[in-house]
Amino acid sequence: MTQVMKATDVVIIGVGMVGSIIAKELAAAGYKVVGLERGPPRFTVPDFQSPGAHDELRFDVRKALMQDNTREAVTFRNQSAQTALPIRRWESFLPGTGLGGSQVHWNGQTYRFQAQDFEMASHTRKRYGDKFLDPDLRIQDWGVTYADLEPHYDRFEYLLGTSGKAGNLKGKIQPGGDPFESARSREYPTRPMKEHYSGAMFRKAANELGYHPYPQPSSNLSEPYTNPEGLKLNTCVFCGFCERFACEHYAKAVPQTFILPVLMKNPNFELRTGCQVQRINLDSSKTKATGVTYIDAAGREFEQPAALVITCSFALNNVRMLLLSGVGKPYDPESGQGVVGRNYAYQTMSTVASFFDKNVIINPFMASGASGTLINDFAGENFDHSKLGFVGGSFIGAVNTNGRPINYHPVPPGTPAWGAGWKKAVADHYNHTVMFSLHGSSMAQKQNYLDLDPTYKDAWGQPLLRMTFEFPKNDLKMAEYVTGKGVEIGKAMGAKQVVGTPRKGPYTVTQYQTTHNTGGTVMGDDPSTSVVNRYLQVWDVPNVFVIGASNFPQNASWNPTATIGALTYWAIDALTNKYLKNPGRLVSA
Amino acid sequence: MNARGVLRLGLLAACAATATSAMAAAPIVGDAKNGATVATACQACHGAQGEGIYAAGFPRLAGQTAVYLEKQLNDYASGTRANPVMAPLAKGLSAQQRADVAAHFAGLSPPSAAPNTAGDANAIARGRVLGRQGDESKQLQACGNCHGPEGRGEAFAAPYLAGQSATYITSVIKEWKSGARKNDAGQLMAVVANRLDDADIAAVAAYFESVGPLP
Repeated sequence: MTQVMKATDVVIIGVGMVGSIIAKELAAAGYKVVGLERGPPRFTVPDFQSPGAHDELRFDVRKALMQDNTREAVTFRNQSAQTALPIRRWESFLPGTGLGGSQVHWNGQTYRFQAQDFEMASHTRKRYGDKFLDPDLRIQDWGVTYADLEPHYDRFEYLLGTSGKAGNLKGKIQPGGDPFESARSREYPTRPMKEHYSGAMFRKAANELGYHPYPQPSSNLSEPYTNPEGLKLNTCVFCGFCERFACEHYAKAVPQTFILPVLMKNPNFELRTGCQVQRINLDSSKTKATGVTYIDAAGREFEQPAALVITCSFALNNVRMLLLSGVGKPYDPESGQGVVGRNYAYQTMSTVASFFDKNVIINPFMASGASGTLINDFAGENFDHSKLGFVGGSFIGAVNTNGRPINYHPVPPGTPAWGAGWKKAVADHYNHTVMFSLHGSSMAQKQNYLDLDPTYKDAWGQPLLRMTFEFPKNDLKMAEYVTGKGVEIGKAMGAKQVVGTPRKGPYTVTQYQTTHNTGGTVMGDDPSTSVVNRYLQVWDVPNVFVIGASNFPQNASWNPTATIGALTYWAIDALTNKYLKNPGRLVSA
Repeated sequence: MNARGVLRLGLLAACAATATSAMAAAPIVGDAKNGATVATACQACHGAQGEGIYAAGFPRLAGQTAVYLEKQLNDYASGTRANPVMAPLAKGLSAQQRADVAAHFAGLSPPSAAPNTAGDANAIARGRVLGRQGDESKQLQACGNCHGPEGRGEAFAAPYLAGQSATYITSVIKEWKSGARKNDAGQLMAVVANRLDDADIAAVAAYFESVGPLP
């Protein structure tokens, strides 16, 4: 028996970073907003407090903050010819759950994408010609430009209090910042983080090689900050428990610190946790949503009628929600027709390990999630690809996020995997190794996509999402190239041994890489290659908006969070100034 | 000092060695034996064994880490921890003597000098909540995140609070609030102190006093 709830203006699926920000703005504008969150409510006090907060076994190894994959997994295969199987342990990527979403366990790395990223297809054709790209790639423009998003990036960074150093203020290059960045309208809200010793070594070597090192933009803050919502964030203490953990100090910018205390006080907003949305309901025309159906923690089914539905859960779950609801046409890799699930992309992560003598003391445990030093000389379009045979690139940085005892133990190749030899190598290298992160772009290709699994179902009887993914050749070439550059920097730092590990196929879900899953509900100007228009409104069902990394047509050389934040404020602007005043299609198809 | 402390001290010393090799200055290593001689000047207020004087609010020093104690002496001398009594005393010591006396007190472990009286039970209960859990409504994290479980200290980042007198803890939090003390990294304590009202200051002070010195 389905209980029908009182109709609301807006229902939000997933109260994470995007959901919290949107709910706050729409509730403040006078609309009644219901936020449905499948996970538990949680706040800095009492949920994130020590000593429990630093339980590495619970949070890092056993992934306590992640989506419960005994109830809701993702199935995976490398190619369409294979049979996908459910991922029973999260390793490669770590989707979160609960109030605040995946951002609660992020590292705080807060980059903007560059202007060329948003016009990648047209830019690539213009610079390298029509025949440069591998025909299997599905690179396309976003339908928005950097200029469109700049004010929204700015607003997002000031919401979080991001610590950094501008490299390009209104077109003027700034010493100490990233000279490759697209122009920003003002300086970061807070000063850059203190530089780690490994970062200082990296900076020196990169400068000697003629590169342009700069401090990683961090949303674990360098100093106390009061954001435009009136909320106060504290200084990071460099405890080294950011990614996979929640922050006990109110120092990491997460919804609990930058927006939820304001949102929760607004009587126009109602949060319902433990609510698993089953589908977006459509009327008989299939072009209008009437609300959503969800099941609460006690197993009771509810219908929540709403004039506007916004799905802003984790990227993979946004795609699944549309597929479960029959919103938009599913992508078919054989015919190339359909859009939902198309252009799934990831991130192409490589590493360089530099092993030093014992007189070089790194102290990796004095760490914060985004206190690295890096270069963008080989990221995006910052170098000439014409003779390289690939597009995209990678930032290269000494990004020392932690030195946690269970999972941080860099050892050189040839070290035994266990026993006395392994223990000796760990003791020898733990404090004398610098790890570089090479954070590579990921291009969409025809064969990579998301759809519903024909066999496996979740705890509520709904099909799981199926991922079909292999690294495009383009991206593996890129990884090989940038890893070579990283090795040169490690050598210039004076390491006695430098080991580059470029990403190789086949893609495996059993090794941690990154949680930057993108695409599947991509944005664009053409309904035949995108699910949502430039305002993130579904082409086929105009009272449904989809917001998240699932909107990215392909993934760039940097972490996605700030771009998701900018898209969020961009969509809010369209909602409050256009759509809600006169509901209907914002772009004619 | 426990094994973990020795390990951490070793790392810090190694770190200091790396940093100073660039600056070409020898690190100062405290000598507890010399420090015992210097410490005679401290005993009138801090007790023969660094146990402190509860009623007067003179803090217990015994068993605080040498790193912490040396930093406080240096900060009294430089003025980032303003105190009319301690400033001239700290300035009167050489950098080596400050390190020595810090090493001396770090190695002592006398019994508590606390009077055998119970504090206000309601205040202690509220202080325990703040110490262990914090208060979301004030965006206050638990004291224990940095000062360790029950305020036993977190070498070398944060001093122990357990067993300090309520009078001392109250006065120090008020120094953070007034800005008389500003020797914390990133204003970590100033931010916290400014979110504590008088009742909460009294509560955390009563709580950590009630715990008594921990090994």
